[in-house]
Amino acid sequence: MADAPPLLVRPSAHRCQAEVEVTHGVGLHARPSVAFTRLAKSFPCTVEVAVDGSADWLNGKSIVKIIGARIRRGTRLRIRAEGARAQEAVAALSELVRRDFDEDRKPGRADGRPL
Amino acid sequence: MAAPCERRGQPAAPGRALGPLFPAGEPAVPAGPGDGAAEPRAALQAAIERAIAELRALAAGADADSAAILDFQIELLLDGELLAPALARIARGEGAALAFAAAMNERINEMAGESDEADSVAEETDAAAPDPFALRAADLMDLQHRVLDALAGRTRADFPAGSVYVGRDMPPSVFLAHDWSAGGAIALKAGSAASHVALLARARGVPMVVGLGALPGEAGEPLLVDGTLGLVRLHPEAGGADAATAPPATTSPATPSPAAAPAVVASPAVRSPGPAAPAAPVGASRPGLFANIDTLAALDGLDPAAVDGIGLVRTEFVLAHAGEALSEERHLAIYRRLLAALAGKPATLRMFDLGGDKALAGLVEGDRAAALGLRGVRFLLAHPDLARIQARALIRAGALGPVSVLLPMVTLPDELAAMAQLFDEEAARLARQGVEGRRPPLGIMVEVPAAALTLDLFGQAAFFSVGTNDLMQYLAAAARDDPAVAPLYAGAETAMFRLLETICATARALGRPVYLCGDLAARPEMAARLCALGLDGLSVAPAHLDAVRAALRAAPAVARPGVGAPGRAKRD
Repeated sequence: MADAPPLLVRPSAHRCQAEVEVTHGVGLHARPSVAFTRLAKSFPCTVEVAVDGSADWLNGKSIVKIIGARIRRGTRLRIRAEGARAQEAVAALSELVRRDFDEDRKPGRADGRPL
Repeated sequence: MAAPCERRGQPAAPGRALGPLFPAGEPAVPAGPGDGAAEPRAALQAAIERAIAELRALAAGADADSAAILDFQIELLLDGELLAPALARIARGEGAALAFAAAMNERINEMAGESDEADSVAEETDAAAPDPFALRAADLMDLQHRVLDALAGRTRADFPAGSVYVGRDMPPSVFLAHDWSAGGAIALKAGSAASHVALLARARGVPMVVGLGALPGEAGEPLLVDGTLGLVRLHPEAGGADAATAPPATTSPATPSPAAAPAVVASPAVRSPGPAAPAAPVGASRPGLFANIDTLAALDGLDPAAVDGIGLVRTEFVLAHAGEALSEERHLAIYRRLLAALAGKPATLRMFDLGGDKALAGLVEGDRAAALGLRGVRFLLAHPDLARIQARALIRAGALGPVSVLLPMVTLPDELAAMAQLFDEEAARLARQGVEGRRPPLGIMVEVPAAALTLDLFGQAAFFSVGTNDLMQYLAAAARDDPAVAPLYAGAETAMFRLLETICATARALGRPVYLCGDLAARPEMAARLCALGLDGLSVAPAHLDAVRAALRAAPAVARPGVGAPGRAKRD
């Protein structure tokens, strides 16, 4: 399914937010959660996610929080980052979600780099 | 060659075996709670690091799909969020294993969709398939076991099969972890014939002598252990072998003499019941005969037709590692095996009797001085997470066969009420989850004098089982595993029988069956006195069944008013 490009909000150079729809299989279960949190942890900024308009922002680098949020297909996922390379982090993570976490690709593509 | 050297101690488990001496290292003194709160924290961190290293090693050689799951587990362990609740529990004074297990159980329940609004959403995703998030609960359980094993790993020291274990004392977990099928024996410098490990050795037919003091000999030197006479002999082949100390004909590997096992408990006159005949029918004028089970191996030699059931399963011995003790599924698998072996006969399972001198590697450090402290049901109520795991497994086992549950070390009716409520809550929860179960009847161990003297207040109990080992210890205020006060312990028998009369009379007045499952039940010379009390059943280690059965037959029958058939089915 072709998705609308993620909406980028950039209040400052060090803060960034985007919204993306989860289109992958069942959602962020084991492997996608690993891909997402590993990618999030590769950035020096904070990464947080909120599910379906919730005001509850979860630590996007914590697999416990991500898997515990039961993020299913069809979920609108808000991703925000603050700090160094915040914009890059949000863009890469949004891309990863839109690429369905590279599930059907060869291993090693879970690093989230854009195509 | 070396000259023979003989030492006398006290017999603890009959039989005779010869094997190479294995000197056990002195066990490390367990760190008490006062040794700094950093200790369990560091232990948990180390166990997690070890688990991560194991998972990485596994992932390195795994296919892509397996590696993905292992990666998931590694990431979970690396996530500080996973550890935080466990560390918070440790900060409140819990031990590392229980803190981690309880914190993980919360996550596992969360993941399994236990209380969630998520269940309704699940339908939308895929009606037929199981919830993929709920399936991740299994990964968490697996992680939990791996970390708990890592926590317990340090204490699982085994020794070569067939050798003679020589040490100051022996932890029951070491006995249980060892494969005794190749023979072997135990010679202890200290220890006690009334200790748990002695009880295990008698049940398993492993010759054992205690109280030997300093022992000569090096690792590998041949050592003969005569558990019947209570002596050991180094290099028995070098001396003039007399009748008492001659090694068995086959000297390697060491094998316990099977004939010696019952010899100490029954004279030849009372020990020949012939082929195993059914025990006296329950409800007749003699007590029923039940088996005590400490290991699954003991089940293999048990003929269900020859007993009225299992009167006592010491679950803390059967589930002897933290990883097992904290796994509901592991409990259930073991209870299922027990019930299958019994072919429909009833089984009474005692909840974990931990604390005091009973340790559970990686979960509870043993402390001999805590015989009057947090143990038995007190420990369970103080650690409800552990109690709930066991309660759920027992309720699920209840659906598979006639299961009763015994609570250890009960002092006050409140403790029984609290545990009954816990069982009710877990039964309701399992029912909500659609898990099959049956809430088993709860009985209490009568082993604290306060409970024994106020049994009329325990009407909520479905049955009573007298634990004579502990009851005598508390009656005499003499530790059962301290040789220095052993005569006091033994001398409390008169007081014991007076109290037994009271217990039996009160139980009859309440209309509740009363059983006896301590060592006293296994002494054939006591059979007539025990019959006269009007007990509903005796429960003894399988090795003693024949002798006790014969002694019961020889004992005069007594009329037992009140309770009729004490069959477990009768209890609600």
